Amino acid sequence: MRNWLIGAGAPVLLLVAWWFLSESSLDPFFPPLRTIVGRFQELWLFEHFQSDVLLSLGNLFLGFAIAAFAGIAIGFVTALVPPVRWMVDPLIHFLRGIPPVALVPIFISLIGFGTQMRVTSIALAALFPTMIATVDGIRGVGNDLMDVARVYRLTRRERVLNILLPAAAPQIFSGLQVSLQVAFIVMIASEMLGSSQGIGAMTLLAQQSFMTADMWAGILLLGVIGFLVNVLFSLLRRKVLSWYIGSRRMARAA
Amino acid sequence: MKGSIRPLTFSALGIAAVLVIWQVLAEAKVAGNALPPATTVFSTLATILGTATFWSSLGATIGIALLALALSAVAGVILGLLVGTFETVRFATLAVLEFLKPVPPIVILPLAVLVLGPTGEMSLFLVVFGCLLPIVMQTVDGVQSTDPVARDTARSYGMREPEILARVVLPSAMPYIGTAMRVAAPAALVVTVVAGLLGGGPGLGQSIYQAQAAGDYASLYGMVIVLGVLGLLFQGATRLAERRVLHWHESYREVMP
Repeated sequence: MRNWLIGAGAPVLLLVAWWFLSESSLDPFFPPLRTIVGRFQELWLFEHFQSDVLLSLGNLFLGFAIAAFAGIAIGFVTALVPPVRWMVDPLIHFLRGIPPVALVPIFISLIGFGTQMRVTSIALAALFPTMIATVDGIRGVGNDLMDVARVYRLTRRERVLNILLPAAAPQIFSGLQVSLQVAFIVMIASEMLGSSQGIGAMTLLAQQSFMTADMWAGILLLGVIGFLVNVLFSLLRRKVLSWYIGSRRMARAA
Repeated sequence: MKGSIRPLTFSALGIAAVLVIWQVLAEAKVAGNALPPATTVFSTLATILGTATFWSSLGATIGIALLALALSAVAGVILGLLVGTFETVRFATLAVLEFLKPVPPIVILPLAVLVLGPTGEMSLFLVVFGCLLPIVMQTVDGVQSTDPVARDTARSYGMREPEILARVVLPSAMPYIGTAMRVAAPAALVVTVVAGLLGGGPGLGQSIYQAQAAGDYASLYGMVIVLGVLGLLFQGATRLAERRVLHWHESYREVMP
């Protein structure tokens, strides 16, 4: 009980301390929290909500969704057809070595600065973690499980949908979580590199024009979005993988 | 099957196919000048490899990434031991750490550039910001998972708290720290590049930005290829180092037949 009080109290205390210690701050880099919150409200609620916040979030989700579906699909093909796996394996490892953000300049030069470029960058960069996790997950499915499937004469479709997909799901979700983080980073990066719309662009522009409070407001919003998106994903994972989490808990208790 | 000739043939085929497709698309000018032919990119890359500027920015990138990694490792393990050992500290920092964990360093990049300017220190700060938290969290997990029997045994042998921490808790947290480092090392490289690309910090990120801004697409592609190779080297090196350092731990021991 005492511990939970400390746990809940510490962040509140921190915010209160920030509020009062920065109250009369004249430092141009660290404006009072009151000013930041004021700008936060003016900017994001709701003047730029539709034009920038929704735009950024839309790109993020569209890019992530494409990456998720394509990653799982390509992962399945790669894992189940050995020649394809041998062919793409070295390429994937090479592409994975490239920092995802470094691909953004290439897409800018190929597609330009528009929404299309941002969604493409996000989708392509976020593709690899999911795809690699899917391949690993399928390779990890036990032989006895596949033997049983064969004995029951399951069709290929049934084997993929009813055996492989659920069995690889825990790994796939770990990959999706990494993909989501990559997607979030590339979303910001694609906006910061020469675009004029989106939360990332607004935050960087505010910094370059020394509107410090606006910049802080952007940083706060991005931090909150990064946190919330992760929480939402964890909830989804818990819901979809409830059978797996339950069985793990049973195994640990035993 | 491993190491047999067939997979290797297919791998070579895959790489060759990509290079040929790239070359054909580029020669057909599907994207104008923005997609230079593979041959141009590789010959440009060869020229770049001969310049001192390239090697100094490569050195800056690697130097910043490694220095930041070392700083975060030392600070992260110390903080992790602290947070993991004292329950009050753990509960007090829980909410803040959980909030900051999914926030990537790129979020505070504008602030870092504002305060520190487009410098090496700015890059260093961002990389440490990005690598520190995962190491702290993993160390805390490692400390929490220390076998209580081992701890009690050490206590009944008359070991003092600092000695228990150094001889029992830290070694048993080592695999967790090793995992954190394996994740942190490629991330350090990525953040260094991001800091250069978006914040103007020294290194290959900055070179990529300049190449893109100048429309020098062959150099842009060449630099990205260099980054891919560098990323692979970082991953390989950390995996090797982890095995070396943790060879004594049961999860790393080679199975003796």
